[in-house]
Amino acid sequence: MTQKPEYIHIKYTKPRYYRWSTGKYMGKVYKEARDNKKLVTNRCPKCGELLWHPEPVCGRCKVYAGEDWVEMSDKGTVLQYTYLVVPMWNPHMGERWANPYPLASIKLDNGCYIYHFLEEQDPEKLPKVKRVQAVWKEEGRGQGLGDILYFRAIEE
Amino acid sequence: MANRVAIVGIGQTYHKNKRPDVNMPEMVNEAVRAALVDAQLRPKDIEAVITGNMETFEGVYLPDHWMAVEAVAFRTPGFKVSTGGTTGASAVEEGFNFVASGLCDVALVIGFEKQDTGDTTAAITACSTPVWGKGMATGAIGEFAKQALTYMEKSGAKEEHAAMVRLKADRGACRNPYAHLKLGLKSVEEILQSGYLVWPIRLLDFCPQSCGACALVLASEGRAGKITKKPVWMADMITIHQLPFRAGIFGDITGTEPYSQEVAAEKLYERNGITNPIRDIDMAEIYEPSNWEEMSLYEHFHFCEKNQGWKMVEKRMTEIEGEFPVNPSGGVLATNPIGATPTIRIAEAALQVRGDAGEHQVTRDVKTAVATALGGSNWTVMTLLKRSL
Amino acid sequence: MAERVGIVAIAQTKYHPNRADAFEGELAYEVIRPLLEETGLGFSDEGNGIDCAVTCSQDFWDGRTISNTSVMSAVGAHLSDEDKVNEDGINAIYCAMARILSGRHDIVLVVSHMKESQADKSMVENAALDPIFMRQLGFDFLTAAAMQARRYMYKYGITPEQCAKVAVKNRGNAKNNPFAQEPTDITIEDVLGSKLLASPIRFLDTKPISDGACAMILAREKKAKKITAKPIWILGVSNCYETHYLGERDLAECDALVSAARKAYSMAGISNPLKEINVAEICEEYSYQELLWMEGLGFCGRGEAGRLIDSGVTQMGGQLPVNPSGGMLSGNPNGVAGMTRVAEAVLQLRGEAGDRQVPGAKIALAHGVTGVCGQHHGVMILGKGSRR
Repeated sequence: MTQKPEYIHIKYTKPRYYRWSTGKYMGKVYKEARDNKKLVTNRCPKCGELLWHPEPVCGRCKVYAGEDWVEMSDKGTVLQYTYLVVPMWNPHMGERWANPYPLASIKLDNGCYIYHFLEEQDPEKLPKVKRVQAVWKEEGRGQGLGDILYFRAIEE
Repeated sequence: MANRVAIVGIGQTYHKNKRPDVNMPEMVNEAVRAALVDAQLRPKDIEAVITGNMETFEGVYLPDHWMAVEAVAFRTPGFKVSTGGTTGASAVEEGFNFVASGLCDVALVIGFEKQDTGDTTAAITACSTPVWGKGMATGAIGEFAKQALTYMEKSGAKEEHAAMVRLKADRGACRNPYAHLKLGLKSVEEILQSGYLVWPIRLLDFCPQSCGACALVLASEGRAGKITKKPVWMADMITIHQLPFRAGIFGDITGTEPYSQEVAAEKLYERNGITNPIRDIDMAEIYEPSNWEEMSLYEHFHFCEKNQGWKMVEKRMTEIEGEFPVNPSGGVLATNPIGATPTIRIAEAALQVRGDAGEHQVTRDVKTAVATALGGSNWTVMTLLKRSL
Repeated sequence: MAERVGIVAIAQTKYHPNRADAFEGELAYEVIRPLLEETGLGFSDEGNGIDCAVTCSQDFWDGRTISNTSVMSAVGAHLSDEDKVNEDGINAIYCAMARILSGRHDIVLVVSHMKESQADKSMVENAALDPIFMRQLGFDFLTAAAMQARRYMYKYGITPEQCAKVAVKNRGNAKNNPFAQEPTDITIEDVLGSKLLASPIRFLDTKPISDGACAMILAREKKAKKITAKPIWILGVSNCYETHYLGERDLAECDALVSAARKAYSMAGISNPLKEINVAEICEEYSYQELLWMEGLGFCGRGEAGRLIDSGVTQMGGQLPVNPSGGMLSGNPNGVAGMTRVAEAVLQLRGEAGDRQVPGAKIALAHGVTGVCGQHHGVMILGKGSRR
């Protein structure tokens, strides 16, 4: 009778701590969100497109983008959304999150396309959500895009 | 000063969900041995070893160091590359560059991933800039769900077509001894009854997480003929990266931006005199992370016109016996050790060119094959293989 | 090699303990922008622009999977070719050279970035050790290096004073380097009196945490000559792996470096390094490493590096100055350090090294190291003019 091999597994959970800098460009987004509840980004001088996230180079034109800051509206239109069914592990925060909030691609008025959550959780009602507006955190801001809780459907 | 480069040895592990019986270096060693045996070479014949692996998936920083001996890299030049999903193909490309440059004559290229170690989705979620996308990424699955939605809306493809692609992949996998998922799926209806993972992607629509490794031995023209009677020539390779679309990662929701696949395919075809891809190329091993993506990839690579990918599936053109077989090995839907997958695509295409693919050898005679890789924010690597240059 | 590969422009940031003001992409652009302005090259798909990029960064240090996405815009990778090498920056240059010699690319941009201030060095380095045996012992590169230093000193009688001389020399040399992070006047007594971190390595035997980036442009010979009047040629290059498990090799030796150096010298036609090389830039993360690596590079016999540094040959003004830039000890991030060494070698050969210039330098050696106790070494020989 052959014996079943015993496999020894080494379990290893180790948190790794990081102190990420936002830098100059993303730092400005954080600052405007925290201090003024505004969304800003910079514009490429060559193609005129808004860069998201803001950075010193327009990756498409491959030129220095400079600091032409533009304020964007926090209202927009939903292009597409999806919602999670399976609770995923979020490595940046070190916790599992079965995110109930659907994630959507939203075109901001006079702005660019951003990803963010929608307030509406009912899958039946989601297809009707078209125009949305950001709902900002009243306190404890300072997390960049995380300062917006989600986008709420508005009648327009 | 460029040498021609051929693939002279191919080796893979039997890809599985979990490999508790081996540690990572031992698993890689299986593929390396298989490749050396296939090429009838010894470790000392290898002059450089280039590895491709996403180290964050296993939680080992510098895995190529851990397996220096098992990967026959001991006292040998080499390095590791990692570019996300396209890693395995980037490794092959660097091997190709090394041999073509004359810096070495025989190189070993390895792609591997042992995904039962660590949490892959977490690692993929960590691709987003930590200070930007925190909490707003859903891993790769969410992105493919959005791509599927866009494709359904724009092309008129139905869930039945996606299910047909899944069935084709499983049929191929059941004929491929190395493939991971061999489900024995019988019908489209069976697939349509399975549950959704992230709507509209079902559990079956998406590639698995596998443990496996794939190794290729590359040799310069002067040595290739002495090593094997059936060298598979690497005619060309191209890598195209791209910034994420303004809206969407794998599918451009606005429909206005160029895809890296199109840019890569156009350049590759132009450089190699390919004017009618499905006539000038005999088969393709493409990197399709989901069955929906496979249909839109047919369009991006110009195997068919825009929004007609699902028609190729309906007409069964891409089956093993079809006019233009795609992924007879079962593709990524059946086997996906992320670091190895692009290497496996190239290995499988090479097996087809050599006529050594056994039960999943395609009916059409394969003189030219193309293998692709996909990764990052829709990056592409394409490889063109030929029986003779 | 029929056509040579030349380095046509280099740039580096001033190394700094904490660049909290810059995101990785911004840091990379700080070094890429001057290169583009200096050479007048743009990113073009055909013609005389940059064909592709090779980046070098470490996912574990950046805390980001596919860390090259941070620099994608800055290196012009959109709808273009780019690859990422994981080892130290010198290997990215080797990779770029292969791309050019393969005939498939003409002009390649190479950039390496690292922000050590963002991560926890011990934790990242501990992850480099195999998870089955060595990781559990809690090693990081410092404690493993301490073992190597102890073994090396025991086998060959190298003294702590000789190791300290390296730190004194390099930090002193750094005073002439405007990019150096911590140029300081220290003495052997300062080093031997500094805090003991892991016997025998003391605080001043180690390098500070450092952030920075380095970039360069490589081109094939014909194009290189058009882009700059002072192209520096890569005459010889190689790299090499050693075994991983610390118990499998004699830590007092560095045979992987010997192998890499031998291949690089053979390519460059060098038979007597001490005589034929005019300046050497070596990666010495811990002071004893400069001694050990000099032996591996063949500047002296095994175990004789202590005598070599005592003799003054490697000081500024000596026969073969080592690390006129101040080396890693005066502040250089891991992963960028090897590329910095090449950049410094290029400056020396162009005669642009300012106060740290070694007069009349014609042949330079640059070295990079990755992994625990120097598991992976890269060696590059550079020169100006022709040399066969």
